Parts: sequence; C-alpha cells; structure tokens
Amino acid sequence: MKFEDSFVVAASPANVWRAITDPGVIASCLPGCEDIEALSPTSYRAGIRVEVGPIKATFRVEVELTDQDMPNFVRCITKGEEGTRASMLQATSELTLRDIDGASTEVAYDSDVSVTGRLGKFGLGVMKKKAESLGCTFAENFRVQVEAA
Amino acid sequence: MMTQTMIAPETLEDALAAMHAEPGSMALAGGATLVAMMNAGLVEPNSLVALRHVDTLRGTRQLDDGGIELGAMRRHRETALETPFKDGQTVLSYAASQIANPTVRNMGTLGGSIAFNDPGADYPAALVAANATILIVGATGTREVSAEAFFVDWYTTALEAGELVAGVRVPAALVGSIGHYEKLARIAGDFAVASVALQVTWSGDSIAAARIAIGGSGPTPLHLAEADDMLIGTGADSDALSKAGLLLAQAADPVDDVRASADYRRKVIPRLLAKAMREIAPAREAA
Repeated sequence: MKFEDSFVVAASPANVWRAITDPGVIASCLPGCEDIEALSPTSYRAGIRVEVGPIKATFRVEVELTDQDMPNFVRCITKGEEGTRASMLQATSELTLRDIDGASTEVAYDSDVSVTGRLGKFGLGVMKKKAESLGCTFAENFRVQVEAA
Repeated sequence: MMTQTMIAPETLEDALAAMHAEPGSMALAGGATLVAMMNAGLVEPNSLVALRHVDTLRGTRQLDDGGIELGAMRRHRETALETPFKDGQTVLSYAASQIANPTVRNMGTLGGSIAFNDPGADYPAALVAANATILIVGATGTREVSAEAFFVDWYTTALEAGELVAGVRVPAALVGSIGHYEKLARIAGDFAVASVALQVTWSGDSIAAARIAIGGSGPTPLHLAEADDMLIGTGADSDALSKAGLLLAQAADPVDDVRASADYRRKVIPRLLAKAMREIAPAREAA
C-alpha cells in the first residue's frame, strides 16, 4: 500500500523539524499510539492500536530513522507485529519539508506499507482507507500542536 | 485469546444484562458473518450472547400507517420470500434475495447483517432507499436511529457497547411506487462490487418521487437528495440518469480491493442506475 499526501504547517522548517523528529510529539498526534520509548537517538519503539469496527489489532513496532538531512528530509523504516497474532507490518516512509515563506512549511510524506497475516485476509482496501483517515487526523493534530507551540 | 463462554438466554432483558455484565461480549444472531470472522481470527469476542431463543426479536408487525416492523432475528430467506411488503418497500425483498446463497439466507439475520455494516453487504443501501428506521435496545432503554445515521463508518454503526439491533421499521412507501435492488457481483452470491437500491414513483411519463442509495462504494450507503431531485420531473431519459449517476459516482468513496478497483466502481455506478431503471420498466407499465 502506498500513501502520499502533504499538509502545510504555519511554522518555520526548523520548528517543524524539531516536532516531527520528537517521538513524544508524534505519539500525541497519532490516534492509537501508546507506550512510545526511545531506544537510541535514531530509533524508538511504540504500540499502535488500530480498530476497524469489531476488528481490533495492536502492533508493536520499532522505527528506525535511516537518513536525516536536517531540516529537509527524513527517511525511516518501521517494522512490527501483532502480539500473539500473526500479522506483520513493514513500512518505508519518507518525509520532505519544504520552506514556503520562512514562516510556514509544507510537509510531504510518502510511505510504502505492507501488512501480511490475518489482517491480510481481511483485505487491504478498507485498511488503506482507514490509514488515510489516520494520516489526515495526524496532520491536523500535528498542525494544531506545532502552531500552538 | 479464545472466546470463553456462550450463553443463550430466553429473554431480551437477560441478553442485555449478560452483554452489560461482560464487556467485550458480542451478540450472536444467525452467525453467518460473526462466526466466519471468528474463524478467520479477525474478531475475538470474550463471550457470545446467542439470541436464537429470544422470541421477541423475531416477529413482524404491520403498523396502521402501512409501515412494517421487522424483528432483528428475521432471516434473509424470510425477507426475500415471505413478503409483507407493499409498493416500494419491496426494495428490501429484492436485496435479501441476492444475499449470498440459500444456506446463508437460511442462517443470516437482518439485525446481524446490519450490525456488521460490511460495505459490500446488501441490506444497508436497501434500508437507506426505503428510508427505514433502526430500532436499538440497550440496558438503559430503547432508541431509534434513521438507517442513514445508523451506518457510520467502515464496519461501524451507531450501536454503542452493550446495545443490540432490536428491529427495523420500514415506513409505508408512496402508493404505486416501485422498489428495486440492482447488484453487480463477480459471481452470484458474492459481496457487491457496487449496488443501487431505489424507490421510484411515476406520475404519467415522469418521475414524481425518487430515493436512490448506492451500496458497495464507500464506508456507508450513499444517498444524495440532490441526485434524487435530478430525476424528479424527468422521464428517466439517459441524460438525466447519467447526470444523477455521475453525481453519485463523484461522491462515492470506494475501495480498491480484490473485487474491483475504486475507478471501476465509480464507472459502474451510473450504469447500474440506468440498468435499475430499465429493470423496473415492466413494473411501471403494469402499474
């Protein structure tokens, strides 16, 4: 599943960069994200709870920042699985920050996610829709939080 | 985690009390969907409250105003074949007759199907086209929600934890109105790639009233009053149909999945609408 979208935050690239590389900020903006913990300056671990009606899943994921070009670009690899249930998740994501006028920044993301296992049986069409709406909620929460800072 | 217990109470009060007492429990109606989801490891309720002995969820009641109340435990076969429906209410029997196969229609129930809100299911669009009301019961009382408001998101309804679908009230359709459900599926009995449910009333050579709902093309059935209005006063000519169909296709939010791409689903919506209108032509001539 490929995801691509962008949003604009009324803050400088440096401020957006600081927030978007802060696991605490990410966790508070992403619905269902819990127990985030830094493993090193470039990696962290988190739980992500996803619900589609009666279908509920909690993934334990590890995120590793593999490339950083402050304050323009970051690439990360996410790997995870559901506790006792056999679903695996793997994602490569890229974030690009573009300075618009010094006081606002466009954040573009591009992510390639694969999910296999029991949730694969369910069909990925609806999960993609759900992930897209999660992306929109994240963008809105992030924008509000950074602009208020 | 495995499901630990199943009980089969005989009264609605006992069923609601059991669901209230055990968070994470789910109501088991016919099992056509829930058991399949459990087998696939997708849904794992702590406990099941089987409704098969709750007789009050079964009946059918004719109302004085021409409306009908259908119990949640009504099987699809009953809705498809034993028709108490009049005029445009028949959109429901057309939809029920196209659900899966005879085995599933003998098991599956109205309440169970709509509580799951599968985007490819047949009842949701038909209930919206029929302007039905969903009767909900919970430990703290009963409430009613229009079908349009009941279907909230992908696989998500207005039901709160501990609540059940008690039944559905289908209002009287306009006298002389025609109900129809047109479904496109890869093979007979599969979930819909897309579907059109409608009630149409003709006055001479033009449409006096119309209510169209699209299924299989988004998180909830799609109904646009504006699209209905585009048909009213027309003779359902191809120009009016393609305008209304395009408006619905643009508003649809279908998935890309194994059944069809989102683009394909958008393409077939106007064609299904036109086909539905052709299919009801004989009924119109007979009226």
